[in-house]
Amino acid sequence: MRLLAAVSLVGAAMAWAEVPEKPTYLRDIAPILNKAGCTSGPCHGSAKGKNGFKLSLRGYDAQFDYEALLYDLSGRRFNRAEPAKSLMLAKPTQEVAHGGGLRFDANSDYFRTIYRWIEQGVPFGDEAKDTVQAVEVTPKDIFMAKPGEQVSVKVTARYVDGAVRDVSRDATVESSVPDVAGVDAAGAVKGERIGEATLLVRFMGKLNTIPVTVLNPAPGFAWKALPQHNFIDQAIDAKLQKLKIQPSPVVDDAGFLRRVSLDLTGQIPTADQVRAFVADATPARVKRAKLIDRLIGSPAFVDHWTVKWGDLLQSSRKYLGDKGVYAFREYIRESLAANKPYDKWAHEMLTSRGSVYDEPAANFYRVTRDAKPTMEKTTQVFLGVRMVCAQCHDHPFERWTQNQYYQMSAFFSAVGLRAGYEVGEEILFDQRADYELKHPKDGRVVKPQFLIASTGKPVAIPDDARRRDALADWLASKENPFFARAITNRVWSYFFGKGIIDPVDDIRASNPPSNPALLDALTRDFVEHGFDLQHLMRTIANSRAYQTSIVTNEWNAKDELNFSHALPRRLTAEQLMDGVALATGSRPVFPEVPQDTSAAQFPDPHVGKEGFLDVFGRPQRESSLESERRSDFSLPQALNLVNGKTISDAVADPKGRVAKIILAGKSDAAIVEDLYLAALSRLPEKDEAERGVKYLSAGSRAMRAQDLLWALLNSKGFLYIH
Amino acid sequence: MLNFMSRFAVQNCDADEYSPTRRELLRVGSLGLGALSLPQFLAHQARANTNKYAGARGFSSAKNVVMIFLQGGPSHIDIWDPKPDAPSNIRGEFKPIKTKIPGTHVSEHMPMMAETLDKVTLIRSMSYTPSGLFNHTAAIYQMLTGYPPDKVSPSGQLEPPTPADFPTAGSHIAKMRPVKDAMLPFVELPRPLQESGIIGKGGAAGFLGKAYDPYRLYQDPAEPIKLEDLALRKDIPPERLRDRFELLKGVNGSMKELEKALNQSAVDEYYGKAYDLVLSGKARDAMDLGKESNKVRDRYGRHTFGQSMLMARRLIEAGTRFVQVNWPSVANGDPEKTAWDTHAANFGPLKNLHCPKLDRSLSALLTEMDDRGLLKETLVVAVGEFGRSPRMGVSTSGNSNSPDGRDHWPYCYSAVVAGAGIARGQQYGESDATASSPKEKPVHPCDLLATIYYSLGIDPEMEIRNHLNQPRELVKGKIVEGLFA
Repeated sequence: MRLLAAVSLVGAAMAWAEVPEKPTYLRDIAPILNKAGCTSGPCHGSAKGKNGFKLSLRGYDAQFDYEALLYDLSGRRFNRAEPAKSLMLAKPTQEVAHGGGLRFDANSDYFRTIYRWIEQGVPFGDEAKDTVQAVEVTPKDIFMAKPGEQVSVKVTARYVDGAVRDVSRDATVESSVPDVAGVDAAGAVKGERIGEATLLVRFMGKLNTIPVTVLNPAPGFAWKALPQHNFIDQAIDAKLQKLKIQPSPVVDDAGFLRRVSLDLTGQIPTADQVRAFVADATPARVKRAKLIDRLIGSPAFVDHWTVKWGDLLQSSRKYLGDKGVYAFREYIRESLAANKPYDKWAHEMLTSRGSVYDEPAANFYRVTRDAKPTMEKTTQVFLGVRMVCAQCHDHPFERWTQNQYYQMSAFFSAVGLRAGYEVGEEILFDQRADYELKHPKDGRVVKPQFLIASTGKPVAIPDDARRRDALADWLASKENPFFARAITNRVWSYFFGKGIIDPVDDIRASNPPSNPALLDALTRDFVEHGFDLQHLMRTIANSRAYQTSIVTNEWNAKDELNFSHALPRRLTAEQLMDGVALATGSRPVFPEVPQDTSAAQFPDPHVGKEGFLDVFGRPQRESSLESERRSDFSLPQALNLVNGKTISDAVADPKGRVAKIILAGKSDAAIVEDLYLAALSRLPEKDEAERGVKYLSAGSRAMRAQDLLWALLNSKGFLYIH
Repeated sequence: MLNFMSRFAVQNCDADEYSPTRRELLRVGSLGLGALSLPQFLAHQARANTNKYAGARGFSSAKNVVMIFLQGGPSHIDIWDPKPDAPSNIRGEFKPIKTKIPGTHVSEHMPMMAETLDKVTLIRSMSYTPSGLFNHTAAIYQMLTGYPPDKVSPSGQLEPPTPADFPTAGSHIAKMRPVKDAMLPFVELPRPLQESGIIGKGGAAGFLGKAYDPYRLYQDPAEPIKLEDLALRKDIPPERLRDRFELLKGVNGSMKELEKALNQSAVDEYYGKAYDLVLSGKARDAMDLGKESNKVRDRYGRHTFGQSMLMARRLIEAGTRFVQVNWPSVANGDPEKTAWDTHAANFGPLKNLHCPKLDRSLSALLTEMDDRGLLKETLVVAVGEFGRSPRMGVSTSGNSNSPDGRDHWPYCYSAVVAGAGIARGQQYGESDATASSPKEKPVHPCDLLATIYYSLGIDPEMEIRNHLNQPRELVKGKIVEGLFA
């Protein structure tokens, strides 16, 4: 029965017009295996293969796949006398049971191509000819005037021998946001709703991206220019105007004070600061700029950014010991307080040597210890690139290869750590012999090589143990196309809740910036100002984009990509805890640290472990991924806020704010005003004041004042930066 | 309940009760729960809903799960799979007794379970081959997350839990099958999973984030439970909490623009649930075993494990989705006192301590849940991380063993499954003459896990995203349809 079917199918398959005359594995067969899904992660591309047959993930290793097809199962995959009986055709057409189901039928060109290839003796092809060099897509940019429009995409592959082929049918086209831009099986792109998406086009390990924009067709859009504070606003407005998105105006003074205080220093402003700032008659932009200058570099600023950098550099006693963690934190703190130029700072850590007590920068190496994880962390933190996937396979959405993973790791292969003279001390040194890194496939020595060429003069790599110094020169230079860009984007995300490239630590060709001109301009400015992190923050904080309100208009209500209005962001664990302490005048006590220590000053996540801070997503510093810090909201968090000690004890503290204002004999109206200022950093609106006064006067004032403060601290106005 | 609570109420869903509303999906996307972008999430959700198993035997038969995790590795041959005809250095000291399943015998120290086997399927062909040394933690991690750990030290030890860990089954299930009422979705009691100093590995939400961690009730349910965050504070009687919420509603309500900007967030929903949990006392009541008669409490056994099993039943009744009862001992603890890890002593502890506890508690739980109709929709699983070596006094794990001691044995062991469409009175699979390997129908722990997901209507092959946003399967295991009636 099955045999008959196969024969008749072959008989029917005589229209061979579309089938290449002389198919080769490289040029014709490998793309089929990708497109039909054979090499995908859930199928044979899985690390362990599927049902005894393994291919490389998304076909990144053609030689391996070819050999797997040829030699596994003693070659039973091919029947050259009767190609249709080959397992390689019988399986995907389900002539023989196939766990992966029907991939293509016997009347398809795929079938015919493989048939002919088997018939002709399964040639591999010539890598010098059949390798794809680049994938090109037309159009380069898709702009739709309204949802519902359709555009078809043409994909061409350029081979190393110069040949150019239309591979629209075999390339994989995926949309980053399918409900904005849908892609159908034939490769046609359809605008589904207003918004932006990126199409990722892949073919034989090469990829390209094109942006898709679906405009708002509603009539009546008229651009109303708002003041541009600096070049950031120019870059943002240029895109907004094109997209027919009207940005929101800036937030009011009290709102700005709270937002910028939290973002720059991690702390909410005090009641007095709010009153003074709101009352100051200086023009808004001037007084805001002055405020920014005052906050940047302040002690709270240094504490706040020490937490961020402690996260990224994984400062934790788990890795560094008790003394080490204080030494490293102090090192980070001093570097930030001195506003050490970022390139020098990175260079200093990467080239550090000696006792980790005398040379605390060397603690950088104690977390990861071995060459490969050190390389992963270095590229992750300083370049925003995830190399970890390339350890096992070429990155499916990036150009990084497994070889590059080892070449980059080789820079760190000579780094050694040995016990020092004091308890817990270690000494970082360069090994003298036997430090070469071996490739896991064949054991050959891997020589260090940079991930990507510097745009400036090439950096020489010494063939000795000091090779990591060359890496530091290459990495922390103006000419490194990733270094400045990665930190600029990362710092931006701390002020907006998302990067221009997002996630900020997964930078790759397939994850393009939402506004390339903006990122370029910001990066250029940062480099021109000597890698000055404080300058970068000052520039961002002064922009209109940063100062916009959360209030939206009909044109920007749906925009979450282009910084046309502010998006509320939940306070971090430390900001919440310190905010509650400041608002209530009652600070929780932790036995490991002095009583007046703020959460932003904790040396590492071992203080207050398993408590409030962890519930609210403080990272354990187990990795340098930004996502380890959680900003989501959960039931345990709500339970804690509603019924836990942190808020309920603090509002009832007999030495706290409520007790004091009651004892001071203030009027109900004054109490309400004081509590709003303390918790929400603003004066109550008229109706809020009236409701507050009414509540206070309806029973025990002391208890009711506690209740009001409890409610303010549980409100979204407190829990979010807005 | 209260009028103003309506604004906190959970949106009702349009399709079946488990499918998230569009609003929830958007929220998940915008908050970045897990590492999914919204489109990815939608795509996965769509894929998960393709219902390729619709109508298949056992699919979606369960609503809740009680996972009784017998950490330490109970000796299958001395409990569930006696081999009276095997040589004396294998068969051991215990005699087989008849059970409610004709032809199937269990150990003489499991008399109550022998009478209860007509309610369960007894799997005698649990089996896997570990790669390298595989001690308790690695085995526990594999059983509960569906993935072998990637970092195992040469001595078989694992790292402590990390945010990159695969999520434990209860976390996935609590996330994918959220509870409707204000109730704790996932409770673990009475102590963590543990081997030596490694605590909680395989028992956390890992890359799903702490929000999906179990509610850890690490207390002895044989004693009164102290519940700080679930109990009303002394200074806040219910009236005052109501006032506070009324006030909060007013405060939030006057910030209209912020409310609008946050209308996709889950804040109100979680506040509503927290409020209900504290005020309704549902969870507190479930944990108050004083509400049970002495007769019932005695029936389960007046010890930590027995009372934990009773609490599991009460939690399921109150609406908890997934209850995990861990055997109350460090996995590699002292067998003479508490642990199933019977290297140093086997028959004495099993006869006098462990079997009587397990026999009484498990039979009580199954019988009571059956009588109350809870077994219809609750899957009950009792399993350890491995069995024990059929031959006594030999080392299979590098540990030393007393002459009558048994070492770790992952190649063949037993499990009890019941409820939610699982066949009643069935023996599934069979071991060879020495209970060393399955004679037929081997069930890998990942197969059992896949079957648990499947019973809840979750496609075990569905794609999840790890901390690096890499696509992974929920679990790589085969669904064991034969377990279902």
